[in-house]
Amino acid sequence: MRLIFAVLIALPAAASAGHAQTDYYARVGVTGSSKLARDRVIQEIEVHSSLAPTLVLGVALPFAPTYRAGLEAALTTSGYHVQELDTDSDLGTLRTVSLVLGLDGPIAGRLGWRGGVGLLGYWPTEEEGIFLRGGSTRFLIGGGIDFRPALMRQWDLMMSLRYDFHRFTTEELTARGFTGSQGVHRISASIGLARAHP
Amino acid sequence: MKLRPGVPIISILTAGLVGLSCAEIASPNRSEAYEWRLITATGPGTTDTLSFHWPRSRLPVRVYTEDSLNLPAHVEHGLQTWEAAFLYGEFAAEVVADSNLADIVVRVGSPIKVGFATSFERVAAPECEGGTGFDLPAGSSVIQAPVRVFVNPRFDPSSPGVDECLSLTVTHELGHAIGIFAHAPDPGDIMFSDPVVSELSVSDRATVERAYHLEPNLTVAPR
Repeated sequence: MRLIFAVLIALPAAASAGHAQTDYYARVGVTGSSKLARDRVIQEIEVHSSLAPTLVLGVALPFAPTYRAGLEAALTTSGYHVQELDTDSDLGTLRTVSLVLGLDGPIAGRLGWRGGVGLLGYWPTEEEGIFLRGGSTRFLIGGGIDFRPALMRQWDLMMSLRYDFHRFTTEELTARGFTGSQGVHRISASIGLARAHP
Repeated sequence: MKLRPGVPIISILTAGLVGLSCAEIASPNRSEAYEWRLITATGPGTTDTLSFHWPRSRLPVRVYTEDSLNLPAHVEHGLQTWEAAFLYGEFAAEVVADSNLADIVVRVGSPIKVGFATSFERVAAPECEGGTGFDLPAGSSVIQAPVRVFVNPRFDPSSPGVDECLSLTVTHELGHAIGIFAHAPDPGDIMFSDPVVSELSVSDRATVERAYHLEPNLTVAPR
């Protein structure tokens, strides 16, 4: 946690120093997620979040000839719901914010890879149900690929696929006797603009 | 196509993810639940088991409260207490200003017996009593709203302990009104016949969760 905050503070300063080499981008897309929790009262119950509109912002600085280190933030907002037998019931709105500290580098041509670790926060609009004692912050690990064809002189088109993984639980679930945590896989696809580099 | 040296990092991350992703969250054991359904005699040697919960289509359940003896605050607390027992939005309620619109009506007074007899009229806390009445016409499986909750101070309402008694009694009676027809066997439960605790126990929560995930055999008439 401290490391991420330190990087958050240090990055803008470093970015201004090495402005010419700084990579920054913004994308919009969608994120899909596997189930957040499962339970069994009488029948099997699963909590899912819906396909979430996503905004991604990122900045990176080169630290070796072919590698960059950077920070990528992604904001999602979607409904979440519970499934039991054939019934699907809405539970409200859930927002997530992820901050991933990562590395990126080239694969081939304009195709690049990216991987990193970070934190993911869940913020429900209403503190109730599994979020009765508030949201949850989890460690996150993930990676993906970026394709950046040139679009304009100063801007590349940036198309990205991301996968990340975290283990989900909440304070309320723990207090209610749930043990362990649920492995959650997320995949996102997004498109946007990135600063072009010669 | 030659891969760059950084690509193995992705392979290492992927291998780590596979290892991390195997286990699933484990549900709590809800074996502490007690019998919440009402078992009534229907004839010599025969019984019927009545169960009910408010359907999702009826949420939020509308509750009217008489503005007397601090009842609005007690009802607000009681509803919040029961709503907090659920993890998946199974129950929600809102207070309404007009009793004609209400699914549950909370008043000061002695229980009025309508439809099927409620067997939980008395609360043995000395300062007050309470009861809940369901209007279930003979031979019908459809409860007629509103469900009526009554609480009654046995002493001067300003006497010590009466307000606390009314608070826990309202929560107890709202438990009946949302579908826990029977009493809990343990004095540590809010649904014990002579409740002394003011909050839900693990057993109360497990019971109401089971009640709301089992198909009831009673329904409620449409608004």
